[in-house]
Amino acid sequence: MKETIPIIQVKNLYKIYCVGETKVRALNGVDFEIYKGEFCAIVGTSGSGKSTLLNMLAGLEKPTKGEIVISGKHIEKLSEKELVAFRREKVGFIFQAYNLLNTMNAVENVALPLSFRGMAKRERIARAQKYLNLVGVGEQARHMPNQMSGGQQQRVGIARALVVNPQIIFADEPTGNLDSRTTMEVMRLMQQIVRKRHQTLVMVTHDNNLASYADRQIRIIDGKIVDITINTPREDAAWEDKRDEEE
Amino acid sequence: MRFCDLLVMSLNNLKRRKLRTVLTVLGVIIGTASIVVMMSLGIGLQELNMESLSSWTSLTEITVTQNYSSDPNASNEDSFITDDVVERLSKLDHVVSVSPTLSTSVIIRQGAYICEYANIQGVSQEALHKITLEEGGRYPDPNSQQMEMVFGNMVIQDFMNSKTKKYYYETGELPELDMSQPFFVIFDQNAYYQSQYPSGDTSVSPPKKYMLNVVGVVAGGTDTYNSYSYSIYTDVEQLKTQLKKVFKRNPIPGQPTNSKGKPYSYFIYNNAKVQVDDMDNVKGVQQAINDMGYQANSMIEGIENQQRQAGMIQAVLGGIGAVSLFVAAIGIANTMMMSIYERTKEIGVMKVLGCDMRNIRNMFLIESGFIGLAGGVIGIGLSYGISYLINHIGGIAQAMSGMEGDISRIPLWLVGLAIVFAIVVGMGAGFMPAMRAMKLSPLAAIRNE
Repeated sequence: MKETIPIIQVKNLYKIYCVGETKVRALNGVDFEIYKGEFCAIVGTSGSGKSTLLNMLAGLEKPTKGEIVISGKHIEKLSEKELVAFRREKVGFIFQAYNLLNTMNAVENVALPLSFRGMAKRERIARAQKYLNLVGVGEQARHMPNQMSGGQQQRVGIARALVVNPQIIFADEPTGNLDSRTTMEVMRLMQQIVRKRHQTLVMVTHDNNLASYADRQIRIIDGKIVDITINTPREDAAWEDKRDEEE
Repeated sequence: MRFCDLLVMSLNNLKRRKLRTVLTVLGVIIGTASIVVMMSLGIGLQELNMESLSSWTSLTEITVTQNYSSDPNASNEDSFITDDVVERLSKLDHVVSVSPTLSTSVIIRQGAYICEYANIQGVSQEALHKITLEEGGRYPDPNSQQMEMVFGNMVIQDFMNSKTKKYYYETGELPELDMSQPFFVIFDQNAYYQSQYPSGDTSVSPPKKYMLNVVGVVAGGTDTYNSYSYSIYTDVEQLKTQLKKVFKRNPIPGQPTNSKGKPYSYFIYNNAKVQVDDMDNVKGVQQAINDMGYQANSMIEGIENQQRQAGMIQAVLGGIGAVSLFVAAIGIANTMMMSIYERTKEIGVMKVLGCDMRNIRNMFLIESGFIGLAGGVIGIGLSYGISYLINHIGGIAQAMSGMEGDISRIPLWLVGLAIVFAIVVGMGAGFMPAMRAMKLSPLAAIRNE
């Protein structure tokens, strides 16, 4: 099931912040690889550098030193403009705080990344509606974000990440603002869709329990990888069992 | 990103902050209206001046006279305005017509009234037809047996009552002249004076009087001045014929003589009026005539002076108006900055989702440009309203200019210019905020506050 070509390669990655005189090593020499179609969890406590790592993978921050190669491209060498294009074409994003635009309804929010690609309105709305149906909030397409529950909003957020058909989806604590029941629903949804569509999902979390559902767990403490665990591939049925236990 | 998507997004952003948008637009409305109204006053004033100027003189006319040499002994023969010169002048570029003027002084009388210093100007038929006549009058016929005259509308004031020896300006009573009756015209003034006031023993018989008809009077009545008011006009060829008949081979008064004191065998005109096709060409033609060795004068210098002054007035008025637009521009910049602070997160999210930085900048420029556009368009509407009030209420216009006509005039180019200017000012004011939005870090969106 697993691919042998790494889609993300990180080599000897450093990120050093200068806070006044002192230097803070947010990332201190990180090496790992993530393969296509994998669900990868980056686990660590607050301040461990996991979010910094995700930001750098997504090209939102520049590394101090080291290489990030995503599908053969050196991300650290791209200009700001190329990074925007890279995110637009290759990457989907799921945020902890959903970050839907409050002025737009659900379907417009999902269609937004498509408009950045210059897709015509009719086409992108139709596609956005399809993805809203996929994540199970098709009924709420015309609702404004503040008329939806957290779980619904995050589903819209997931639809927005998926709609551009990205190679990689980055999720930064996607369930951080949700209760445990909704968390499970959302996790299951992400898992299913990514697996079905053979996309790569990189999720940052501090929750070991959530991380345990990933194919690959990268455990990070104080800017260093302390452990990479590869879980045995689980069938959907097993995932279902897990969920039943939770309930 | 498509332009129409960008536009819709920008407009939605403006819509969701209605009150703030309206207030900012209001600033631009006032700014635009103040510039437009101020400039319309400047334009109106200038046009009124030009209109009043052109009502009593032709703005496209050049008067060509001979070039008087500073050396009294030198012959001016070279620069005499002759038929030949008229021909040459009419061949210059942009010259529509050339009308020579031959003027001579005569004595005219009818009944008890006499005018001892009447000026007869012989001009071409073309020039005659430029004169507006009182109703019932006609232009002198070049083929008539006798010379026919058109009186200037104020010529009548120059007649003296020979019984009381009093003029109009002394008595305030207009001479009772009958224009339908012929006038006695005496061309040979010297002979007239010598016979009137004989000196020594040489007695001179009184000169011959000619009975000539007045066929028309210049329009305007006796109290409205125009450039035809004080002269008597006739056809130039008829005048020449008449003068030849009167003086035969003797020197004609007013015509130059050669070094031996003999008259020339041809007529020398006092001047020639050159009509130019357009005011813009007057200067060039005038220069060309000067280069030919003649003296050329026109109203152009005066007009240019006036236009310069009017331009300055316009600039000052526009400047005063511009101050309020400048304040409005600060308002736009302020609104846009506020908007960026409010939307930091949103902008960040858009960037993370792959929105081009240019698109973000353009979105803000469109927003501020639209504020300018809306303010400009509504401001123009307001300007028309104010302009109407100025022109129509309680004689403000007359009080300000002392002339009849609209003082506030908004030409179409001003409308276009004002709207474009408002948009440019809006975008200019929005530029710095837009750049700032463009450079916002997308990380701000990801950080959880």
